[in-house]
Parts: sequence; structure tokens; C-alpha cells
Amino acid sequence: MSVPTVSHTPTVRGRVSWLATARVLIQLAWARTFSPVLLLAISALVLLPMLFALAFASRGSLSGDPVVFLIQRYDTLVGALATPLIALLLGTSAFSAEAEDGTLLYLVTTTTPRWWIACVRVVFASVGTGLLSAVAVWGTGALAAGGHDPLGVTRAFTVAVFFGGAAYAALFTALALLTRRALVGGLVYILIWEGVLSATFPALHYLSVRQWMLAVAASLTEATDARFNVGPSLTASLISAALLLVLAVYVGGRQLQRPRISRIGT
Amino acid sequence: MSAVAAMSTPTPALVFDAVSHWYGDVVAVNDVSCTVDAGITGLLGPNGAGKSTLLQLAAGLIAPSAGTVLVYGERPVEHPRVYDRVALVPEREALPAMLSARAFVEARATLLGLRDPRGAAQRALAEVEMDTVADRRVGGFSKGMRQRTKLAAALVHEPTLVLLDEPFNGLDPRQRVHMMRLLEARAAAGTAVLLSSHILEEIQGVASNILVMLSGRLAASGDYRTLRRLMTDRPHTVRVRSHDDRRLASALIQLEAVQGVELERGGLMVRASDYTAFARALARVAQAQAITLYEVEPTDESLEHVFAYLVAR
Repeated sequence: MSVPTVSHTPTVRGRVSWLATARVLIQLAWARTFSPVLLLAISALVLLPMLFALAFASRGSLSGDPVVFLIQRYDTLVGALATPLIALLLGTSAFSAEAEDGTLLYLVTTTTPRWWIACVRVVFASVGTGLLSAVAVWGTGALAAGGHDPLGVTRAFTVAVFFGGAAYAALFTALALLTRRALVGGLVYILIWEGVLSATFPALHYLSVRQWMLAVAASLTEATDARFNVGPSLTASLISAALLLVLAVYVGGRQLQRPRISRIGT
Repeated sequence: MSAVAAMSTPTPALVFDAVSHWYGDVVAVNDVSCTVDAGITGLLGPNGAGKSTLLQLAAGLIAPSAGTVLVYGERPVEHPRVYDRVALVPEREALPAMLSARAFVEARATLLGLRDPRGAAQRALAEVEMDTVADRRVGGFSKGMRQRTKLAAALVHEPTLVLLDEPFNGLDPRQRVHMMRLLEARAAAGTAVLLSSHILEEIQGVASNILVMLSGRLAASGDYRTLRRLMTDRPHTVRVRSHDDRRLASALIQLEAVQGVELERGGLMVRASDYTAFARALARVAQAQAITLYEVEPTDESLEHVFAYLVAR
């Protein structure tokens, strides 16, 4: 057996590279996130509104105004269902898995600032959610309106889902660091808060990501709809989402100071 | 004068000062004070003694409920920059299964801000003899390979304080010897190594200083010889079977090292005040009396008995 030798090549420490660490953090998130089951779930969420659009298109002129159909489906199926659920899956899976099996310590026992770790993970989940939701929006719009974009409604909701995806992703990424039951907590939030409470009580519109998305979409389309008139203003929505993003990164970074790692031993 | 004295006294790698930590009602670490410096320190204790919690406290993953933990003079929870000099190797085997060993170690090197992550990863992997399989996914690794990958990830930035939780688990004898030599080489180069184990024999060969933990408390500390003597010289109960138990009992009771003898069905239970002296005398007595010994077995050799004795003494 060879006698181990201690390396005599000095390890040169530099400054933490924001770009290089972001690439590594995304690589690790990607490795922990994408499993066949998760891909299947996300595909179903992306395809669901397209199936509705296919049914709509198959009835031809009997189906009615595509703008009304698209606004309804973008709000209920994409904004209230697909986007938050995709954000929940992408936002919680990496941190939850890492906290559960203890590999989170390989991230936090480094000199990379914890807020940056949280920030990159939020960006990862935001971009993923935005892109996947945009596919759902484009596909639904193309199928229902025959490749056209009447009154710019598809373009408006594409921007809105990127915006809402970032807000949802920030919320759920922070949730994954705060609780062991992030998935259940997120589902309860989506179904009860966004699905029932915020839709029922106008006072809660200011605290609803779904309503913020509608405000963004309303500002970018010439279409009119009753649901565009009840939510918060565009300014209030933008400020609320920005606050949520900053708060999520702050809370995430704080939480990583004392990470929720189940055990380091067996 | 004081400035000169301060300059000549380097800051200890790790200091526990009256440290306690509890999870709800459960006290995991209870009023532990000790210092770890360059060289290999063994942290010995049965499962559940609080060893892993102590290592987590040292690594800054949890804050002490009471007392102070200092790593190179700084509280690790508040100053993540100590990870520039500190590494933790957990007992848990979990690693990102989809990554290769090289990608994983390089990822650590990048997150630690090394200028040449690729080169540093290659050196660390070669040091633990994993360079030839470094491009395979860690998901398919054996326990020993995972253990060595974790060690490479910990050593990639050449830390001066290395914390290892049960590092010899899953290693075959050859790998175990290699890891011991590796740690010894690191320690000789000035690194402080704190490694935990529940098996004394595992660390007796490498650790120059041993801390014994039991039920969250620091039960004893010292070099291996001191602890071994404490463990050997304690009162022992020994089961002896021979072809004439009655005659052997009457001969043994006259020995100075024997406190009492009980005749039981199928043998004797001997309480010895000095195990070493008793073991020598037993052979002499048996030979002198022409008694054939069938079995000599200490009944309280488990670590729990040994640790309980150390705490109670």
C-alpha cells in the first residue's frame, strides 16, 4: 500500500466568484430536482391548459370568443394552478431533499455567502417556473386562437407568469428552508389561500400572487375582463412582489445560518 | 510583555467552554469544556453519547444552548469565513447521486472560493485514492468509496481543522489503514483532526489524545495509555470455567487481586480488583493446582460498562 502524501501544492484561495458559485448551485439544484416523477408531474401541469385549448379549438366557431376563453384559462389553470404548483416543485425539491439527507451541509460549510445560496436557488426556481409556465401559455394560446394572439392576451400572460413564477418561487424556496413539510404547506397555500380565500375576500387581493399576476397581465393587454378590475394596482403588485423576493432571500439566508439538517450521523 | 506572550501563544484550533446543547427536553451535550489543537484527537463514546452534536457545534451548524464554541478564536455560527480553515466529514453517506465524484469535489472547491477548483479536486481525489474512478457517478459507489469521496470534498481546500464523524465506518481494513496514515500525515503537517468513534481500538492507533463522552458529558480525557490503564485497572467480573470449579474457587479466593468468588452452575464468577494481576495469577494457580481451564471471559467488557465506570469513578 502506498503511503499517503499530503499535497504540497498550496491551495490558492481567491474571492468567491458569483458566476462560478451560481453555476455550481444551479448544477446541484438541477441534480437534486429533476426525477422522472417530477418531470411527469410538470409535464401534466403544462399540458393541462393545452388540452382545454384543444377542446375549445375542436368546436370551431361554436366555442365563442377566444379572448374570453384564454383569460379564463390563463387565470384559473395557469395562474392559479400550473404556475404555483411548478414553482412549489422547483422551489422546494432541492432544499428539502438536501435538508432531509444532510447534504445541505456541503453547501453551508463553505465560504459562499448564505444569502447568495438562497438567491441563486430562488432565481433557479423562478426561471424554471417562468419558462415552463410560458410554454403552457404559448401552447394554450396557439391552439385556442389558431396561432394568433388576439388583443395581445397571450403576450401579456407570458410576462405575467414570469412575474408570478418569480414571486411563487421565492415564497416556496424560503418555505423549504423554514419547514420540513414545505410541500404540504405549499399545497395548502395554493388551494386554500390562492384558490379560495383570496378569491372570496377582496381585502386579501393585496396578498395574493394570483391577483398580482392579473394586474400585470391587465396592464399589457387591450382586452377587458371583470377579473382585471378587482385586484390591486400594477404598482402595488410590483412593490409587493419585490418585497416578497427580498424577504425570501433574507429569510432563506438567515435560515441557512442555522440550517435545518436532520442529523449528520446515522 | 503581554503582547509578546500573546504572539507566542497561537490561538487554539477549537475550544469548547462550558458548552451545553439541548433539543427540547433532551440534553445532548452537557457542560463540556476542552481544547483541540494540532494533532489527532479521538472523540470516543457509545452511540447517543453526543459526539455528533459536539461535532455539529464545532462546525457551526448549530449554536450552543449554553457556553461558547470558538474556532480559531471566532464563533463559527456567526462567522462562516471559518470554513476557509475548517471541514466536516459527516457520518451520513448521502451525496448528490447524479454527480460524479469529481464534479462533487469540484463543486465544493468552487463554493470555497479556490482559484483552481479542478486542480484542487484532482489533488484531493488522488490523496484518497479515488482519482481513477472520479468520473463515475457517486450513486453507484460502495460505502467505502462514498466515505473517501466525502473526505476528498473535505480536504479539497486543505483545512487546518478537520472534523470527522465515524470516518472508519464502511472501510475495509486496507482503506482503514490508508485513511489512518492520511490523517497522521495531515496531523504531522500541523492540521488539527477531531475524529469520533464508538470503538476504542479504531482510534487508539492514531489519536494522541482521546476525549471520552457518555450521556452528553465529557467523562474522561487524556492519552490512550492513561485511558487504557483506567479501563484495565478497574474492577472486573470474570466468568471462569474449569474441570474442577470448587478447587479453583478456594485457590482464587486467597489471591490479593480477587475480591470475591461465586460458585454458579457451570462455572465461577470472580470479582477482580486488578484485572492484569488476576489474569497473571489465574494462570499460575491453575498450573500449580493442575486444573484445566475451559473458559475465561470478562463479563463487563462492553464499552458501555467501561464508560459507566469512567463516569462513576
